[in-house]
Amino acid sequence: MTEPRRGGLGLWRRGRRVWRPREGLLVLPALVFYILVYLYPLTRLLAWSFFDPGPTLKFYGALLAEPAYLKALSNTLEISVAATVLSLVLGYPLAYLMATSGARARSLLMALILIPFWTSILVRSFAWIVILGNNGIVNRTLLSLGLVSRPAKLLFDMTGVQIGMVHVLLPFMVFPLYGVMSRIDPNLLRVARSLGAPPRRAFAKVFLPLSLPGVAAGCVLVFLLAIGFYVTPALLGGAGEITLATMIDMMVNTLLNWGFAATLGVVLLAVVGVIFVLFSRLLGLHRLTAVGEEGAR
Amino acid sequence: MTRMKRRTFLKTAGAAAGLAATGPFFHVRPARADKGELVVVSWGGDYDQALRDLVFPAFEKATGYTVKLDAPPETAKVKAMVQSGNVSWDVIMTDIPAVLTLVKDNLLEPLDYGALDKAKLDRIPKELQRSHALGQRIYSFNIVYNTNSYPAGKAPRSWADVWNGAAFPGGRTFNFQGGIEPQLEVALLADGVPIDKLYPIDVERAWKMYDKLRPLVSKWYTSHAQAIQLLGAGEAAVGCTIGPRGIAAKHGGAPIGVEYNQGKLASDNWCIVKGARNKKIAMEYINFAIDPKAQAAIAKRVPYGPSNGGAYEFLSAAEAADLNTSPQNIKEQFWQNVEWWSTPGPDGKTPRETQAERFATWMLKG
Amino acid sequence: MSDDRLSAGRALLWLFGAALLVFLIAPIIVVVITSFNATPYLAFPPQALSLRWYRNFFQSAHWIDPALLSLRVALVAMAGATVLGSFAAIGLARGRFRGKRGLELFLVSPMVVPIVVMALGLYFLFSPLHLLGTPAALYLGHTVIATPLVMVIVLSGLRSTDPAAELAARSLGANYWRALWHVLIPAIRPAILSAAAFAFLVSFDEVVLAIFLGGPDATTLPKRMWESIRFEIDPTLTAISSLLTLLVLLILGCAELARSLQRRASRG
Repeated sequence: MTEPRRGGLGLWRRGRRVWRPREGLLVLPALVFYILVYLYPLTRLLAWSFFDPGPTLKFYGALLAEPAYLKALSNTLEISVAATVLSLVLGYPLAYLMATSGARARSLLMALILIPFWTSILVRSFAWIVILGNNGIVNRTLLSLGLVSRPAKLLFDMTGVQIGMVHVLLPFMVFPLYGVMSRIDPNLLRVARSLGAPPRRAFAKVFLPLSLPGVAAGCVLVFLLAIGFYVTPALLGGAGEITLATMIDMMVNTLLNWGFAATLGVVLLAVVGVIFVLFSRLLGLHRLTAVGEEGAR
Repeated sequence: MTRMKRRTFLKTAGAAAGLAATGPFFHVRPARADKGELVVVSWGGDYDQALRDLVFPAFEKATGYTVKLDAPPETAKVKAMVQSGNVSWDVIMTDIPAVLTLVKDNLLEPLDYGALDKAKLDRIPKELQRSHALGQRIYSFNIVYNTNSYPAGKAPRSWADVWNGAAFPGGRTFNFQGGIEPQLEVALLADGVPIDKLYPIDVERAWKMYDKLRPLVSKWYTSHAQAIQLLGAGEAAVGCTIGPRGIAAKHGGAPIGVEYNQGKLASDNWCIVKGARNKKIAMEYINFAIDPKAQAAIAKRVPYGPSNGGAYEFLSAAEAADLNTSPQNIKEQFWQNVEWWSTPGPDGKTPRETQAERFATWMLKG
Repeated sequence: MSDDRLSAGRALLWLFGAALLVFLIAPIIVVVITSFNATPYLAFPPQALSLRWYRNFFQSAHWIDPALLSLRVALVAMAGATVLGSFAAIGLARGRFRGKRGLELFLVSPMVVPIVVMALGLYFLFSPLHLLGTPAALYLGHTVIATPLVMVIVLSGLRSTDPAAELAARSLGANYWRALWHVLIPAIRPAILSAAAFAFLVSFDEVVLAIFLGGPDATTLPKRMWESIRFEIDPTLTAISSLLTLLVLLILGCAELARSLQRRASRG
């Protein structure tokens, strides 16, 4: 499918009239299913947050009035921003390496990213518990090298949570970056170089600006995923790192405050929804879904 | 184009909102089918493994039922299950304040003592035989520590030591969630309240001590098994968890020590959840669990005090001395005042509930 | 870029990349190696080798029952998501109707909705229906999260096929649905197959839904693992982790195979 086919285009145009409208019906089963098991529950969530049992704004009032809840919100944003920045800093060079390497090296790199990408998040969190613990390989290496005198605390605090999260999120940064970078024409750089620009300058003036859509896509995606994270903070955190997601769990399972849990869910959903819709308007949905495609290569 | 899109979107959203407003449109209340299964909910760890090995097989053989084990039996969860009609537990084992909290909200079935062997009941102290709960074991919250973290003879001996981060360095581990109440008595002991003056609990004073504890804690544990693991692996140096589990881990070779001084004793009891599938079978299970021989066999592995006094006849002197209820150990500890923990306040909630909720919000404020 | 391949900057970049890949892969390798350890506690490197944790997994109902349930749930979700997602993808790619872009946005949106929020919504949905703690809750929930993935993969497969073939079949008198069945679907079969494989994997690994919606009668393998990590770390986890990694390798292998088939199909 590299070159357009003449005949194909002709038929395509003719086909529009006879062919297309009915095929749209194929969306219906999924649509009905989504409305019942996806849209409806999410709207119920909204209803739960505004009724108790009569209409009320008390859950939202409580959210604003209680510093503890605002702290969970700011915790969540803080963790997510940090994870996004870290993923970008680490992911950009890796994506660049992939985009500028030969086919074989690229496949190798891709495979080595895909394996952890698809590995269960539980397996990976568990692995970090094994590795980062006081008796884990990292601490024993540090101790035997004499770099520390007592085991460094890497687990059950923010360090552990960040390591675990970046490990999960890095591929979500690399895929969109790589997708954009691989479409940058290497000749552009070569031209810039031949016109006398030193490599660094050629990169800054030519490559970097062209890769920015990938940066935006990666950052948005990673941020969106990070603010909903539940498993990693719950397993690698020490319980002090309360996020919106872990607070929802606490409200549902310990405090039985379902109205408030629903309110937290709505807040989380609203943040995600706004970013998602804005982003797909500005940069196109395909940049986000590209991860699914890259991941399934 | 954009307007069209918005309109379709609004239409869909409107339809969904309509659906949402009508509420759940069909209610099904299936009688929970008796599939030849009994779900028992306990607190995890070695004790559960012992139940699996030493109690379930005999019961399964006698009744043809299979037992599934779940953990932990959080009161909130029982409430959510019964009230929403999604009951999936049959028999739970829990402490008296939790039992009374559940009874108050009508979430437990009364026990049918006629279904139990009289010979077994005769050996169980009367105060462990309640209308909705029958004692199985005595647990105790004790000072449990990692022996590599402290030189011999220099381990924490009192709760004041545990609160003293300067003299006894290393991370602490205390319970949070997992259905366990905050250890307010222990906090008061750390603050110097005499062991016989703990009740009624000075709640504010205890929470002030928790504020002091917070920076010392390296991990809030969600189950006792996790606590033992953290202590054994040195992720925490000292903590407040179940002493008998610490002893069991020590016998298994883990670098763990247990200090019984100032420990808190209380009982764990079998209860049947409202809406359990088969009450008769549940009673039959309990009858197997309170068997003195079975309880003795469990106590040999994990030295919780057995509820059935007959169990002692199957234990050696050394094994009996290991129990948290041995005369030597019991002397150093105090009994939890279940009255205080289960008398409802003006809002109709028991301190067991109120303090658990306060614990969660306290944690959020961290 | 061949001129700077040997430059210091390039070497540095490779060094960085290699370090990062070690960061990504090492945890998994460490767990796999740990799984062959004979001691009853986690130790790396293993002090003595044994397969006891694998035996423990396959022999204990505590682990194998949840694994079987996960298998069942994943198969149901895979089937549901593959049918719903593939049809939706064809509808979006070939259909022409108003609000298509908005619909696509809506249909892929579960990919970004935090799973905790989804789990919460489903918790409220299933509670009055008395479906909490039943496998049915998991069938439905897992299908919702797997469908968008299928859709995205099949959509990308559709982009590399030529609508002309279907039209040709149609113009030769083939009935509308027959053309779909005999021409289009075979053309994107590789994409559908790999989408199905990933849908299976996503469902098999799903933990948050299982935590909120499961119960003792509906405990999937990830839920059991979650409990084990949270409540008492059992070294059997290492064996399970290795097996799950093996599953990932198998599925990635299958997808790679499907992709090369797709390439051949679209070329031929």
